[in-house]
Amino acid sequence: MRLFHTAARAAGLLTVLFLLACSVGDDLTPDERRAQELNRAIMCPVCPGESIDQSQNQLAAQMRAIVAEKLAAGESEAEIKSFFVERYGDSVLLSPPERGFNLLVWFVPVVGLAAGGLAAALALRRMRRSPHDDDEVPIPELSRDEREEYVRRIESALDMESGRGAERQ
Amino acid sequence: MMVDAGHLALVIAFVATLYVVAASFVGALRRVPELSTSGRYGLYTVPVLLGVSTFALVQAFVRNDFSVRYVAENSSLSMPKAYTWVAMYAGNSGSLLFIALALSVLAVAAVLTLHRRLPYTAPYATALMAAFLAFFLGVMLFLADPLERLPIVPEDGQGINPLLVHFGMFIHPPLQMTGLVSVTIPFSIAMGAMLAKRGGRDEWVDVGRLWGMLSWLIMTAGLMLGAWWAYTILGWGGYWAWDPVENSALMPWLAMTAFVHSIMVQKRRGMFRMWNIVLIVVAFTLAQMGMFINRGGPVPSVHSFAQSAMGWIFLSFMVGTLALSMAAFVWRMDTLKSREKLDSLLSRESAFLVQNVLFLLVAFVTLWGTVFPVFSEAAQGTTVTVGRPFFDRVNGPLLLALIALMGVGPLLPWRRATPRILFAVTRVPVGAGLITAAVLAAFGMRDPVALLAFAVCGAATAGILHEWARGTRSRHGRGEAYPVAFGRLLLANRPRYGGYIVHIGIVLLAAGAVGSSFFGVQRDIALRPGEEASFGGYTFRYLSHDVSLYPDRREEAADVELRAGDRYLGVVRPFRAVYPDFNIASTRGAIRSTPVEDFYIVPSEFGDDGQAVFRVMVNPMVWWMWASGPILVLGVLFALSPQRQPSPAALRVPVFAETSRA
Repeated sequence: MRLFHTAARAAGLLTVLFLLACSVGDDLTPDERRAQELNRAIMCPVCPGESIDQSQNQLAAQMRAIVAEKLAAGESEAEIKSFFVERYGDSVLLSPPERGFNLLVWFVPVVGLAAGGLAAALALRRMRRSPHDDDEVPIPELSRDEREEYVRRIESALDMESGRGAERQ
Repeated sequence: MMVDAGHLALVIAFVATLYVVAASFVGALRRVPELSTSGRYGLYTVPVLLGVSTFALVQAFVRNDFSVRYVAENSSLSMPKAYTWVAMYAGNSGSLLFIALALSVLAVAAVLTLHRRLPYTAPYATALMAAFLAFFLGVMLFLADPLERLPIVPEDGQGINPLLVHFGMFIHPPLQMTGLVSVTIPFSIAMGAMLAKRGGRDEWVDVGRLWGMLSWLIMTAGLMLGAWWAYTILGWGGYWAWDPVENSALMPWLAMTAFVHSIMVQKRRGMFRMWNIVLIVVAFTLAQMGMFINRGGPVPSVHSFAQSAMGWIFLSFMVGTLALSMAAFVWRMDTLKSREKLDSLLSRESAFLVQNVLFLLVAFVTLWGTVFPVFSEAAQGTTVTVGRPFFDRVNGPLLLALIALMGVGPLLPWRRATPRILFAVTRVPVGAGLITAAVLAAFGMRDPVALLAFAVCGAATAGILHEWARGTRSRHGRGEAYPVAFGRLLLANRPRYGGYIVHIGIVLLAAGAVGSSFFGVQRDIALRPGEEASFGGYTFRYLSHDVSLYPDRREEAADVELRAGDRYLGVVRPFRAVYPDFNIASTRGAIRSTPVEDFYIVPSEFGDDGQAVFRVMVNPMVWWMWASGPILVLGVLFALSPQRQPSPAALRVPVFAETSRA
């Protein structure tokens, strides 16, 4: 039980650290949050591989301003996204629009997961010693002598490790 | 003069590698040991020759010898002098030379560890390594010569990409490139053993594992330093964006992680022989894929430094080696039968297999997301972007599952566990996880995903600490003082305890990633000099700003006085540099880092009157991620430190095990 306490104490310590770390005052306004989420979903059209939230480019700064303006004017996320899609095409969205061929991007990982799981299950089954006896196979009982011999060997191995053996190298 | 010598050395090195390939293969196939030995000595000359070429190129850079095309394209008189020493890997052909040099050094080191221990395998492995060297050298000589001369010598060069002018340039690119190419070594060893019909004898496992882990270590260090670099220079306060080039470096790392785990099953149990070959082939193919994505640039990336028009050659080489590896695998399949059978579905062996499958899945998902835009363009004619939301949503849960498995897997016994054992070993971690979640929830953390993630991190940590505590106490019970007992416990089984140290590093990394991505906040704030603002518990006053002009850039820096509550923290000096020739702005944030959180401030715009827009961020727990780096390195080195005991695989297999194979 004392071991359990050690572990629990360690976990407690970690928890306190997590708490300290994550107790950042959340002083963002809801509008700011929405704007940032949108900025992270829209690519900067002239800077390869960066969202307008990331990019230091002028155009990205202007686009961020447009996002904030439109949100303030009461436009919805979808409206703002389609505003940019009309100008720059589908590739301006970080996540492809969910229709038609694009659905494959989500579908294939699911198939992959299923296939991976199946393959692992089949592989494990093929590697099994015998398909009939499940976990019921009794772990062989050692006789008293065998057990003593076993313990003796472990002890001597431990001695070798901890004592003279270590220095001998 | 030196340039011509360097060029000549490159040509000789190319010829030498071709000879090594031929001599080693023929020597191995015809059983002429003298020929194999001569091939091996041939390989030893390659790093020396490439050293001469590299020296020539570096010298050309340092001396601003713009008669060399590559030097003219990647440096200028106005660039900071220190960076001329490393500008050789700023572009495509020079980085190829660096890769070839790194591979040749690794190959020689590997062959030195191999040729006595694995006399039959070594010639094949040597031939394979030399073949990859020959490929790189051939590409350089025929398509991208780093030492090519220009007919007319320009007055000044075009300059280095400004994003590369950062302290990270000295370590991240060399480590990253060395990491990617180092996958070649365990691949060659494994394939060599298989070709020599020694794949089923597990004698290659120790050396293969050693090089697999070294390769993993270099890749890990490269990735971490890259993340750190992105965090400090790209000015957006993030460290990982699932960009195609980042992904291409991550994929081989994932496969290699699977390999260094699964190789332990072969080492300990003589199982997974085919599977390990498959894994290393996958890792190698993904490493080449990385090279193709980086150099061929099929998808837009923020990291396109080494772009070239030679993507096709890397792609065909990748397809070619994959096909050959598969053919060789099928050809030698009958020599790779496992020694043992699986005793139970509930065992450490199965945990390893599940781990492998999960890692490969993450790699597959990453690959799929990275190349999907190419498919989309081909199939529907429109380009789409697959970015962060996709990877976060699909890879996030898979990675979390892996961390959960990392907490439980090592606690399971080899061969067979019973549900009772499973309960006994998972009691502590599961309990700790539940407590973590409960406490966090009680203190007001509401995000269920973050709660789950932290609970899993807590569980994995508790599992490891519990193991350590248990082992130490049992040794203490045998009369050792606690510190001695703990030290000896770790030293007694270094692969195992080194692994645990790495696992703790991974937990820190994961916790930092979860903390900063779920609880990071940012705001853009416009200030005039003299004004102050506060955000996230910090108050900052924009004191002044100054402009300095350099030949290649205009640098604007801001002095910002920082306070946390009432505590004065000092003046920080973030800056923004604009490089007109490249039309690139490079920013350097000022970061005040504590284990609790990072305060990050970066000027994203300067107005004419000194008004500036600052991006201010409070990123919790980022420090933990950087702290995990040294722990990972330490853990790997500890796991690899030489030990007395021979591995079970190197022991004679009892006769009955040989005969009961049918």
